[in-house]
Formats: sequence, C-alpha cells, structure tokens
Amino acid sequence: MLVGLDNLKHIVVLMMENRSFDHMLGGLSLVVENGVKKYPKINGLTGNESNPDTAGNAVKVQPNSKFQSQLDPDPDHHFPGVDLQIFGGTPPGPGRVANMQGFVKDYFTQTNDVNRSHNIMYYFTPDKLPVLTTLATQFAVFNGWFSSIPGPTICNRAFAHYGTSFGQVGMDIFYTLDPILSAYERMVQGGHMAKIYYYDQQSSTMEIVNILKNQPQIFATYSQFIADCQNNLLPEYSFIEPCYNDHPGADGGEILASDQHPDHNVQEGERFIASVYNAIRTNPTLWGSTALLIVYDEHGGIYDHVAPPACTPDGYSAKPADTGTGEAFNFDRLGVRVPAVLVSPYIPKGTVVPGTEDPANGRIFEHASIPATVTNFFLNGDAKRTDREKKASTFVDLLSGPMRPDSDIPYFTLGGN
Amino acid sequence: MATPFNAIKVPKPEAGAYNPNRPAGLLLQAQALHFRAALLKHQEELTSLLAIDPKSLKTEGDVSAYVHRTTAILHTHAARPKRK
Repeated sequence: MLVGLDNLKHIVVLMMENRSFDHMLGGLSLVVENGVKKYPKINGLTGNESNPDTAGNAVKVQPNSKFQSQLDPDPDHHFPGVDLQIFGGTPPGPGRVANMQGFVKDYFTQTNDVNRSHNIMYYFTPDKLPVLTTLATQFAVFNGWFSSIPGPTICNRAFAHYGTSFGQVGMDIFYTLDPILSAYERMVQGGHMAKIYYYDQQSSTMEIVNILKNQPQIFATYSQFIADCQNNLLPEYSFIEPCYNDHPGADGGEILASDQHPDHNVQEGERFIASVYNAIRTNPTLWGSTALLIVYDEHGGIYDHVAPPACTPDGYSAKPADTGTGEAFNFDRLGVRVPAVLVSPYIPKGTVVPGTEDPANGRIFEHASIPATVTNFFLNGDAKRTDREKKASTFVDLLSGPMRPDSDIPYFTLGGN
Repeated sequence: MATPFNAIKVPKPEAGAYNPNRPAGLLLQAQALHFRAALLKHQEELTSLLAIDPKSLKTEGDVSAYVHRTTAILHTHAARPKRK
C-alpha cells in the first residue's frame, strides 16, 4: 500500500459555489517563465477562446475578472440556460455537438447589454487568487472534474452527498424513498464518524434532506470544525459548507459570504479556503493523515472551453417539463467543468490529473466521485449505490508519494489589505 | 509549521464588500423555501408527538421511544437565536 494511503485517516471536502475551471484556474496555462509555459500540463486557456455575442462579434476570453460586481445579475445556470451555453443554441436532437459557444448569448438574455454580456468570458489572473492557484500548483489539480449535471446547485450538491440527484435537474426540494443513503449515513451506519460543517446558523446548510433525517448527529458549525481540528477530533469524513450570505456576526461584526457565488466577494472565498487549509496544515497529526478536496458545485454560467463528456447514467430520467428544453434528460452526460484541487503532503508537487485532453490517460471526475471515494476507502464499497457512483473515478490513489517536508509546503497568513 | 519562506499572505476584501442588503439570489430563495418545507415536516412530527398522552406509555420501551423522538425535536431548539 502507498504510504499516503496507509496514513490516510480523514477526508475533508470543501465545496464552493458557481465558478468554472477556466474562470478560476484557466489563467495558469498562460503563465510564462523564461520563455516557456510554467504549467504546460494544465488544460486552461490559450487566450484565443471565444464566443459569439448577439451582435455577431467574436468575444475572446479576457483576464479582467474582479472580485465582485461584474457578474450581477447572477449568470444563468439552470438546465435550459446551460444547454444553450454548451450547445450554442442548437436545439436538442440526435447528433448535436457540444461547442461551448453559447455563454455570451445566454448572459445577454439576463443583462440585455451586449458589452456586459462579455463579462462571462472574463477570467482571473493567477496572482489574484493566491490561495487556489497555489494549492493547484503545489498539490494536485484535476483537468477533468465536471459538475454532475448541466444545471444548478441543489441537484449538483446532491451528487456529492448521494451519488445521484434522484432524477432532479433543478432547485426543488426532494424527498426520496430510495434506499440509497447519503455518504454520511453510510459512514455512521458503518461505525464511522462523518459530519457536515455549515458555516453558522445564519448561513446554515443546503443539504435539507439530511437536516430532516439526521440533525443534529451529522451537523456542526464551522467553528466546531476548527475546534475539532485543534483537538484531533476530526471525523473520518467531513464536508464543509462556506458562508452563503452576508450577515452580522454575533459580536456585531460583518460576516461576508465566502461561497464565491456571484456576486459574492471572491477574495473572501480565498480567505475561507485558506482558513480550512490552515486548520489542517497547522496540526501535524492531522496534516499527515488528511486529504482535503476543494471543489466547486457547478460553473455558475461562466465560460469554460472543455466540452462535458458522456457518463454512466444513474438510472433516473428527468421529464421534458422538468428540463425545460423539450427533451428528457437521462443523466448520461456531465455538466460544465469546475475547479478541483486535492491537497495532501503525500501528493507530488505539481501533480496535474489529465482529463478529456488526453484520451489515452485522462480520468474523468464528477461529484459522484466524492461519495464513491469515501465509501470505497472507509467502507470497502459496502453500500447500495447507483451505477453512476460505482463507476465514478476515485481520487485517493493520488497520494502516491513520500511525505513532503514542511519546507516544501505553503502556509497562508490571513492579513489585512 | 511552515517557515516564513513559504508563507503566502491572503489579503482582506476591500472595505464596502459587506452588503447584507444585496437582493437574495435564486439559491438563497430556494434555501428559504426548503427550510419552510423542513419546518412543515417538523410540525407533522411535533403534532404526532403531542397526540400521544404520556400517561399511556406503560413500558420502559414505550417511554424510551417517546423520549427519543421528543429529544430529537427539542435538542435542535436548544441553540435557537433570541427573538429581537
């Protein structure tokens, strides 16, 4: 067994909100050092990717992203809108090809402003995102991690919890009588500990089904996560939810949303990612026994250049009335690509997990990879699961190296401006 | 612990980023709807429990089942915020 796997006792997943891979990490491909690309294996941007706008002009990607105020109104990321983004407006039917040419057109439907619709092609330069880009380049970044559904938050997060959305492609609440349990319930039934840490009571959770069935056993706040890290009480599996709204703190201070959902402040999200990382990083026992996955639930309507691939169906079908496209959806293709980074001292520096750009060696991940990894690693796969989850790629094999020395590991200081 | 060599400073958002008056997006509106649905389920459970006369509980098993269901409801209220 790999030494990293031998020492692995905790898996922590931090799921952020609504940003695409190219928007957050695509700029890494354009970093040049001494005349050569510094990160040639990362499948980011060339700088020449474009989308047509409603005036017929080709709109290129641009390094103009700001932390806030550019993506208001919130870009469309519901099923029909994402269909337009992926297929460029070609109506559903046999043989249509995903060309990723409808992002600007779709954003125009909300902005009604040609110039403002171009904002959807903006991306961050790596210097603006020191936390995410540092972790991506110092540990493992996935070229091929996709949202599970070409749709919004709730159904995508369901895949991270259950390995299926039980046929949902939207934001509706769902109750299931299906025997498929969440990863947390599986863990608890198997004699393990698992928790969802939501930020605080004002922000709470997006995982309502589990609240109804299991609170308070599997829920705790983020301050408890920090305490559990300090006291070596972290469960085997932890899922962290960022703060979803701006609200007053208990001491009268200002708590900013840290989920990075447009139009929330991206820099605050960077600080939250750093806070989670530091909580693990600063405890030597935890650092040597934990894998931290940082992943985004879906792309939020923001441009990415990689066409989502097909996937194993999960056995459900969404009706045409639910998809809004006039066509049923059989959960047989993935949503738009999202940033995903795996952190552990056993991951060789600069690991890039190839995706669809490498047909021979590429590995495709999606949110069903999360319960699949947890269930396979802690429970030897012993749980009722969808075929989709059973066949999903798992990620702990990436802990393939010897433990890296402290001098080789970054640390974040959360300072002022 | 990391050395200063590999410490990376993460700046704060600029002043004025905080805006609790920002209109709630579809996600937060959906979250509120889901919480209301959760409350209705909660109410069903509460109504069902209140229909049980504690004097009708004859065995330790009866009482433990009742206390289990009741504790599950009351415990979540322990940390409820004060009303303004």
